[in-house]
Amino acid sequence: MTTIQDDLLAPEVIADPYTYFGQIREEDPVHWNSRWNGWLVTRYEDVVGVLRDHDHFSSDRMASFVLELRPEDRDRLSLLISYFSKWLVFTDPPYHTRVRMLLNKAFTPTSVERLRPRVREIIQELLSQVEHKRHMEFIREFAFHLPVIVISEYMGVPPEDREQIKEWSDETSRIFFIRADEPDRRERSQRGLQHLLDYFEPLIHDRRRHPRDDLITALIQAEERGDLLSDEELLATCTVLIFAGHETTTNLLANGLVALMEHHDQWDLLHENPSLVRPAVEELLRYDGPVKATFRWAKQDVELQGKTMREGDRLLIVLAAANRDPRKFSNPEDLDITRNPNPHVAFGHGIHVCLGAPLARLEGQEAFLALSQRLPNIRLADKPREYHRTIVARALKELWVEW
Amino acid sequence: MPRRLRITIDYNRCVGSGICILTAPNVFRYNDQRQSEVIDPDGAPEGVVLEAAQGCPQVAITVEDADSNERLFPPADLL
Ligand code: HEM
Ligand code: SF4
Repeated sequence: MTTIQDDLLAPEVIADPYTYFGQIREEDPVHWNSRWNGWLVTRYEDVVGVLRDHDHFSSDRMASFVLELRPEDRDRLSLLISYFSKWLVFTDPPYHTRVRMLLNKAFTPTSVERLRPRVREIIQELLSQVEHKRHMEFIREFAFHLPVIVISEYMGVPPEDREQIKEWSDETSRIFFIRADEPDRRERSQRGLQHLLDYFEPLIHDRRRHPRDDLITALIQAEERGDLLSDEELLATCTVLIFAGHETTTNLLANGLVALMEHHDQWDLLHENPSLVRPAVEELLRYDGPVKATFRWAKQDVELQGKTMREGDRLLIVLAAANRDPRKFSNPEDLDITRNPNPHVAFGHGIHVCLGAPLARLEGQEAFLALSQRLPNIRLADKPREYHRTIVARALKELWVEW
Repeated sequence: MPRRLRITIDYNRCVGSGICILTAPNVFRYNDQRQSEVIDPDGAPEGVVLEAAQGCPQVAITVEDADSNERLFPPADLL
């Protein structure tokens, strides 16, 4: 057994997380990382087990965040704390149950299906803008725009405000990227959030008086057994939707395209059989999904694979390792767009399973369908590819392609 | 007489979100693996059963007319 190095941001781990987390999955599947100060959970069975067990494992990220703050910082960051505590993804039942059920109807596969024609249209428009150039930076010129346009239109955000909102959303997200060179990231995050709140508040008030056929109106009207979302919950939800829907889908498109280019037989197969696009997108999510890992906190002492976790311990749930676990998937290192069934965990699992998954799937299907039909000769340009240095996201900085 | 329903859950798709169980608690419950299982296909009016199936983020629930085998959910274009 080789020793496991514990720097999760080491260049080789960022470049190839699958080899690194794969080694841990095979040699020490529930691994204590003393540098990150938490447990790594890597086998499919354990990942699914923990994500299904919200009685023993909490998603309340703000609880531990607040504990680490000095009292004066708690006061200064009270807005941030108060809103992030209402972000679905950081909450536990019963709050989570209530809000998730109120949001769910707007995001079911049936509900988002009616967006498909418009998604198709947006994709064709985006491709028309670049087709004649015969090359592009795929993220900036294509993959970035699609999810932003789709979620903004669905929510009812005017097109001219999109860029600004994206900027505020990026500012807000700074809190989640631990970068030593950014001492004021918490303040910047809070400022970004304040801008988003100031933007959405009048929009919500407007829709209360003048209902429209958009998501904000639907969320205002969402009702379960007489229960409604409060103004604060509505605001928190608007910010989380803008935030969660942006980068992840962009990365599905970019990572997916790289995977298909590096397995050109699979690209050709898709080009010749467009009806394979649904299983193809599932396989791209499994093979190199946008979210490498997520977090949980032990709510009490609990045992996993013979290791004892203590109450309050932090867990990194490594979706990327589970998705290539040979105990669950045959030939897990192969990209096989016909794989079926494909019970991957790219969207998480259990009560927090991605709310936007049906929408992300739809966007992915339409994008790869259009790309494989309209630009069948697309190829990766001969440029180095670099990934952002984060534990959670599998995100390319740039992706140059030509055709 | 309301028609009898056949409800099946695809365990390769079910992620244990609990949404169907919250929507129709007399029809679905968590099994030992914390995925959904059907306890009583007639435990709620047909409309509620269909709402539960539609609410599933994974399209894991199939609802059929138990006598005619007609599929009531999902439609072909969701699979
Ligand atoms: C391919 C694209 C996407 C991927 C890979 C992805 C991945 C994930 C994952 C892994 C989780 C679970 C986190 C956890 O359990 O800790 C999650 C939750 C969530 N996602 Fe996504 N996501 C994507 C797109 C979207 C989109 C488009 C939206 C919104 C429009 C969205 C909104 C959310 C929300 C609100 C949650 C929290 C759900 C809850 O806590 O109940 N996501 N996502
Ligand atoms: S709603 Fe779907 S994924 Fe969730 S528990 Fe029911 S069958 Fe499983």
